[in-house]
Amino acid sequence: MESSQSGIGKSRLNLINLMSVVSAFLIPGSPLPYLQQDNPPWRTLAEAMNSASVSLARSEPDTVVVYSTQWIAVLDQLWQTQPRLEGSHVDENWHEFGELPYDITIDTELTAAIIPITGTVGIRSKGVNYNAFPVDTGTIIAANFLNPGSLRQMTITSNNVYHSWDITKELGRLTAQVAGEMGRKVAIVGVGGLSGSFFRDIIDISEDRIARESDDAWNNKILNLMKAGDSDALYKVLPSYIEEAKVDMGFKHLAFILGSIDEQFSGATIYGYGPLYGAGGAVVEFHT
Amino acid sequence: MSKGEVIAGYLAPHPPHLVYGENPPQNEPRSRGGWETLRWAYERARATLDELKPDVLLVHSPHWITQQGHHFLGVKELSGKSVDPIFPNIFRYTFELEVDVELAEAICHEAGQMGLTAKMMRNPKFRVDYGTITTLHMIRPQWDIPVVGISANNSPYYLTTQEGLAEMDVLGRATRKSIEASGRRAVVLASNTLCHYHFSKEPEPPEDMSQEHPENMEGYLWDMRIIDLLRRGHIKETFDILPRFIEEAFAEVKSGAFTWMFSAMDYPELAGELHGYGTVIGTGNAVMEWNLVKAGLAKAA
Repeated sequence: MESSQSGIGKSRLNLINLMSVVSAFLIPGSPLPYLQQDNPPWRTLAEAMNSASVSLARSEPDTVVVYSTQWIAVLDQLWQTQPRLEGSHVDENWHEFGELPYDITIDTELTAAIIPITGTVGIRSKGVNYNAFPVDTGTIIAANFLNPGSLRQMTITSNNVYHSWDITKELGRLTAQVAGEMGRKVAIVGVGGLSGSFFRDIIDISEDRIARESDDAWNNKILNLMKAGDSDALYKVLPSYIEEAKVDMGFKHLAFILGSIDEQFSGATIYGYGPLYGAGGAVVEFHT
Repeated sequence: MSKGEVIAGYLAPHPPHLVYGENPPQNEPRSRGGWETLRWAYERARATLDELKPDVLLVHSPHWITQQGHHFLGVKELSGKSVDPIFPNIFRYTFELEVDVELAEAICHEAGQMGLTAKMMRNPKFRVDYGTITTLHMIRPQWDIPVVGISANNSPYYLTTQEGLAEMDVLGRATRKSIEASGRRAVVLASNTLCHYHFSKEPEPPEDMSQEHPENMEGYLWDMRIIDLLRRGHIKETFDILPRFIEEAFAEVKSGAFTWMFSAMDYPELAGELHGYGTVIGTGNAVMEWNLVKAGLAKAA
């Protein structure tokens, strides 16, 4: 994982990016804290989401940009271009806990500006504008917790499974760059989990915990490095963490965030950390 | 009540391109055709299925992925519009289907008895995945036979391939036992592609068949080796080399439907009828049939 950058004009772009990104968050995409807020192990994460929502609102973004690991793309980098997404979704795995209503307004102007620009770094992007398109659970969780009442417009993009950490970081960087050039203030939200081991059998949800002690130790170590703003140490251990703790989707949701803030953060607020049926999830705000 | 039976199994892949190429009224986008060899293969499969007169169609789909257990559609009537998240430009299909809830519950219960985590999906607003819908449309576009929809638990990816497929084998046995107890004449459908290497760019228009061919030769050769074994009825040998096929051809049969189907049929060393083979965006797809009635292993209607 490269943490440096080079090239003419990068300094200027750094400045533009940092001016455009007014806040940046890492959140889990599991529907459990949203659908079962009264369950003690998940209440912590639900409350953390609410705290993050307040902080996001204080940062006064024009647009909330979401990169969701649960929106799987294969051929291109997909972006929502339908002006309004409205409906109700039932999670493929947690259908017994009810529906996830959503009402999302897309920043079509920002999205339309980003799509052609990604080609400059070899990423082919495509807009999707179809009624009844299956909006993924992670995006809905981000929208419902962090943008209650759909007060802000959003830009939403997918996780192309063939894109690497570096390509995903580049996507985050380009997104912030375009936002900056358009004068948009954006909140960046990377949606995905931490450690990926989960319970495969039915458990008593009131006794949910991180499935493996080693995962718990890894998650805490990573969160402490984020909190301390120790990006050098964080970069050094990330490959081992991702492999040993089976981190959700190679932690590309973090790559998108780091790209958008030019990998510069002085620390982070950990609003909450907890189990999601054995897997790890945390609500984190990065301070630039 | 007479004893139920699995009367046939079909390898019934689910590229949405086949529905798109056919232009049924349920699908919004219009095409100028394409993928004819596969669509005509499905026409032959439709004819044999019609002769079998099954009471129920069971489909195991890799695009309903579940982590906690094997799930079963458990709402009698499900309807809606299914938009493929990968190919929304070609698949926006309005569907209505009837679920054989009684049989689904029986299999779910039996799977639990055999040690699997199994769960019924009871939410009437659930969105049925496009893999299930495509396979069912291609094999029976009339939608007049009740179905049992089964999720693909991600065990072959989360555990080892062998451990995951061992679960699918148990699921197949639970399916067979429940069908026998139900008195139903059932057809099992494995919604799987073979070699799953694909192109990263879609032609314009998508049905431009001048761009369609196997993504790579090794994958194609693997597909031919597997099909050849299946056509000769060498089922045990097929399963012996399945892990290598999965690894080297990135085969979608890893997701479990193929193993589940053969387990439900009790792995008959029976020559499969190849209705056709073709590629879709580079992936290898075969429509094949194992007709247990014709083979004298199940009773005719």
